[in-house]
Amino acid sequence: METRPKIALFQCKWCLYSQPDQNWVDNDLPSSMYLVKLPCTGRINPLYILNAAQGGADGIVISGCLPEKCHYKEGNLSALRQHEEFLNFLDYIGYERSRVRFVWLDLQDRGRIQKELADFEAEIAKLGKAKVLATRTNVSPGGQYA
Amino acid sequence: MPELTTELRKNIEQLLTDQVVDVVIAFKKADAPLRPQPAFFRNLEELEDLEYNGLCQNNLANYLTRYPHDTKIGIVVRGCESRSVNALIVEKQHPRENLYMIGIPCQGILDIRKIIKKTGEDVTGYSEDGDQVSVVYEGKEVNLQRSDLLHDSCLRCAHPNPVNADVLLGEPLPDGDPTIVRLAIEEFEALDRDERYAWFQKEAERCIRCYACREACPMCYCTECFVDHATPRWTESDISQAGTQAWHIIRAFHQAGRCTSCGACERACPMDIKMTYLTDKLNNDMLEVYQFETGMDDNTQPPFASFNLDDKNRFVI
Repeated sequence: METRPKIALFQCKWCLYSQPDQNWVDNDLPSSMYLVKLPCTGRINPLYILNAAQGGADGIVISGCLPEKCHYKEGNLSALRQHEEFLNFLDYIGYERSRVRFVWLDLQDRGRIQKELADFEAEIAKLGKAKVLATRTNVSPGGQYA
Repeated sequence: MPELTTELRKNIEQLLTDQVVDVVIAFKKADAPLRPQPAFFRNLEELEDLEYNGLCQNNLANYLTRYPHDTKIGIVVRGCESRSVNALIVEKQHPRENLYMIGIPCQGILDIRKIIKKTGEDVTGYSEDGDQVSVVYEGKEVNLQRSDLLHDSCLRCAHPNPVNADVLLGEPLPDGDPTIVRLAIEEFEALDRDERYAWFQKEAERCIRCYACREACPMCYCTECFVDHATPRWTESDISQAGTQAWHIIRAFHQAGRCTSCGACERACPMDIKMTYLTDKLNNDMLEVYQFETGMDDNTQPPFASFNLDDKNRFVI
C-alpha cells in the first residue's frame, strides 16, 4: 500500500493572517502531516529540524512571516540566518536540501498554505522516503516523557 | 625552545611581581614528557615548572571562563588561542581590561599520535630545535622533522600570529595560506551525497560520548549542555546512531561563527574522530556569506548574533 510522505510543519502562530487558514491548519491537517506550532520562526532551534529529520519526517516545512512583519520585530531575521546555514550544513553531510521548504507568508496570501503543502507533498513523494539521518529508533511508550 | 621558555618565565615573573595580574594561565611540565599540562601560576616559586613547546595541546582560552570577571588574568596565547580569547571577549565572558595576553607566534602544535606512530608508546624524552624534533624512545634518540608531525588543523592554519596581544615574544611569522582549508572542504564536497553521509556516519558513530571535545573547547562554556538536559530530553544521550549523529551535528553548529579551528576537540578525542571538517565548513560559509572571521577583533558580533534588515532580499517568496 502506498502511503503518503510524512511531513512536519513548523508554523509561526502569527504567520497565517486569515482565520480560516489557521483553522484548517489547526484542525484539518491530513494525518500524514505533523504540526508544531511555535510563537515565532526565531523560536525554532536547529535541533528541532534535526529531530524531525531523525524521527522519520520525509519533508519539513517552515512557515513564517516576511521581514518587517515579524510580531517580535526580528525573530524571522535571526531564523533565516540560522536555518539557511543549518540546511547548507546538513546538505554538506549528505541530507537533501530539497526536503526542507521555507514558506514566508504575507497578508494577502490567503489559502496559500494549503497549496504549498500539497505542492511540497507531491515533490517529496517523488523523492521517496528519507534515508539519510532518519536514524531514531522508537522506544516503547511508557512513562510521562516517553 | 628553551630560550622562549626563559623569556616567557621572565615575562611572567615581572607580571606577577608588579601585580599586573592575579594569575597566569600557561603550561607546566608533567610526568609524561609528551604531555605538558595547563597550569595556573599565582606565585613565583611555581614558575620553576613552566614549560612551552610544540606539544602544548590545550587551548588555554578554555580556562578563561572559569574565573570571576574581576580576576586579572594573564594568559599565554598562540594564534588560535588569541582569537578564541577575542571571541570570548565579544561574548562578554571576561572584560578586556582584566586580561593580559602574552602572545607567542605559533609554529604549529605537534600531534602526539603522529609521534607515537613513528616511534612507540613509551617516549621518555623530548626536545626541539627549530625544524628538528628529537624524542628519546627505549634509550635511543630519534630525530624527526617538525613538519611531518604537525597536527592537521595546524597544517591548515591561516593566522599563526596572536591577534590583539599585549606583548609578543619572538618574531612574527608569515600568515598561512587560507586556500588550504578550502581545498579540504572542496575535496569532501566533491564526493556524492551517499559517500558524504557514509563518511559522516563512520566518524560520528565511533563516538563514545565522553564529551572530551566539549571540555577541550573554549567556546563550549554553557553551564548546561543540550545533551545533558533531561526534561525535555532534546536528543538521545547514549551511543545510539541518532544520539551520536545529533551530538556531532549540533555541537559543530553551535560553533558556527565562533570556532577558531584550533583543533583542540580533535586532539582531545580518545577515539580519534575527525571533527574539523564540520567546523571548517561552517567557518568557511561564515567567511563567504558574511565576510566574518572569528576573533580577528574584540568587538564584531558573530553573524548569528548580528542579523539585521539587510537580509530582507534573501527571503524567497
